[in-house]
Amino acid sequence: MNQYTFDSKLKTTLLAGIGLGVLCMIATWFADPAQIAEGHTHMRFWTNFLHNTVFFTGIAFISLFVLAAFTTAYAGWYVLFKRIWEAYSFFLIPGLILLLILGVGNITHFHHLYHWADAAEVANDRVLLGKSGFLNNTWYTGGTLVVVGLWIFFAMKLRSLSLEEDRSGTADYSIHRKIRIWCATFMPIAAFSSAAMIWLWVMSVDAHWYSTMFAWYSTASWFVSATALTILMLIYLKSKGYYTQVTEEHLHDLGKFLFAFSVFWTYLWFDQYMLIWYANVGEETIYFKTRIDQFPVLFYGNLIINFVLPFLILMRNTTKRKYGTLIFTSVLLFFGHWWDFFLMIKPGTLETAEHVAHMHAESSDHGDHGDHAAHAASSFIEGFTIPGLLEIGTFIGFLCLFLFVAYSQLAKADLIPLNDPYLEESTHHEVQQDLSGAGGHH
Amino acid sequence: MKDQNKEVLYGLYDDDEILLDAVKQARENHLDIWDVFTPFPVHGLDPILGLAESRLHIAGFIYGAIGTAIAFFGMSWVFTRDWPIIFGGKPYWSVPAFIPVTFELTVLLCAIGMVVSFYIVNGQGFGVDNPTLDDRITDDKFCIAFQTNGKSESEIEKLRSFFSESGASEVNSKTI
Repeated sequence: MNQYTFDSKLKTTLLAGIGLGVLCMIATWFADPAQIAEGHTHMRFWTNFLHNTVFFTGIAFISLFVLAAFTTAYAGWYVLFKRIWEAYSFFLIPGLILLLILGVGNITHFHHLYHWADAAEVANDRVLLGKSGFLNNTWYTGGTLVVVGLWIFFAMKLRSLSLEEDRSGTADYSIHRKIRIWCATFMPIAAFSSAAMIWLWVMSVDAHWYSTMFAWYSTASWFVSATALTILMLIYLKSKGYYTQVTEEHLHDLGKFLFAFSVFWTYLWFDQYMLIWYANVGEETIYFKTRIDQFPVLFYGNLIINFVLPFLILMRNTTKRKYGTLIFTSVLLFFGHWWDFFLMIKPGTLETAEHVAHMHAESSDHGDHGDHAAHAASSFIEGFTIPGLLEIGTFIGFLCLFLFVAYSQLAKADLIPLNDPYLEESTHHEVQQDLSGAGGHH
Repeated sequence: MKDQNKEVLYGLYDDDEILLDAVKQARENHLDIWDVFTPFPVHGLDPILGLAESRLHIAGFIYGAIGTAIAFFGMSWVFTRDWPIIFGGKPYWSVPAFIPVTFELTVLLCAIGMVVSFYIVNGQGFGVDNPTLDDRITDDKFCIAFQTNGKSESEIEKLRSFFSESGASEVNSKTI
């Protein structure tokens, strides 16, 4: 079976999931915690919106990037299932729309996610004033439009060339040469532009703070999530009878990526932490001070889920080849890195929300409300201090939307590309000899 | 065993594909292969030979864990009990500063431990001179070897016929 059919049962399930997400988002709109509802910011809704949009758009982006990197590196092993990454990259289109909503929100102030978007604040703030050359609406909205637009262009280009290769690929592989040139072109563009975008989308939530490790760090997070989702997708499709040629050998390599990039993520996490801890500069340290003091469960849980567990579970080679352990770690890491983004976004926006509420309280001359807001940070707030049920529901909604887009694209072409020059290599991929049965069954 | 000389009957093959088939055939005939020598690692040979999975990585994990413990607890002891010094206004027991050293020592002990273990297990090392059956198996020949100490003429004849059937280009015997 090389033609995927997106059956109506799955469609219904995914649509139900999207519906759940929408319901949860509507509920979130009215469920702002009392402490920060004062400014009418709907901060919980908008942070969830930003969080999931960036997380899933990032996965789409990294899928495209991985495809480009592997093609440029003459890799062959992944070719059997490269259509999955092509399909994932299509989420860039809804991702761009969602991000533009946020961009328009910055301009018209229907949300207050970013401290730097408030002109009155910036005017009285030397740090923000200094950054205003980059942290402004032109860069945010225009940059998003241009950069994500460019990514979409490359995604479409690679997809159409890949399909053209299916239809009219010949033995001289001229189409594949074209694909390789496009891939190599995309890599430097992707590397620089994604860094700038993640600074705007996520790092600028803590407008006074910056970290030179941030772009690497969040990209590693995306990479692990994308790999985890690919493993789950492959195992799911195999269970439905597709991709029979994809074996545990391919999953083993994906498992290695999952393991290696979890360690890489930890390395960057620690780098960012230790440099800031050692230098001990006030406006940098506050980032971790806030998170350790007020978000201890998220902060330490993040390390346990995303480093300790996958490190110990995936260390042995057999666990990278078995469905059970792979599924478990993939689900764990996918959720874990969603949680990681949660921790990047929520504390900073909470601070901004309190700020807005405080200003609101001052302007309407309710002294006690201002007091209220000041205490908000030290108390437990569902949806900020820890993901609540509404956050989980929204997450499921976005995941279902992502999968809906991916399955729709998967159904449009052959699951296994027909004329890729490395197809043969991929079908014979073997990374480790099976020593489990003495005597061998080769 | 060490002092006893081994009488070895070995066949040389010209190609790794032929070797793989020969090994398969020998296993099917329940011939007791002493060892197989190849000039480079032949993919898929280990499972056909029925070798057990190497335990070297388990040793590696233990060496690494020892490295972690030595570095982390060593530094903890030095900087809190033995010779406490304040660096840059940080507490005595400043864990983040220990992490890089801990990591390095983990990798170092793991790597050195695995190399040394590998050499000891394989009887290799400086000044150790292992006899080779034939110099050409370090270059372009693939070899299957049987030990023939105490084997009867008919058994040896059976091995010889196996070699000729399985496509060996040369059959020799040697005492090492």
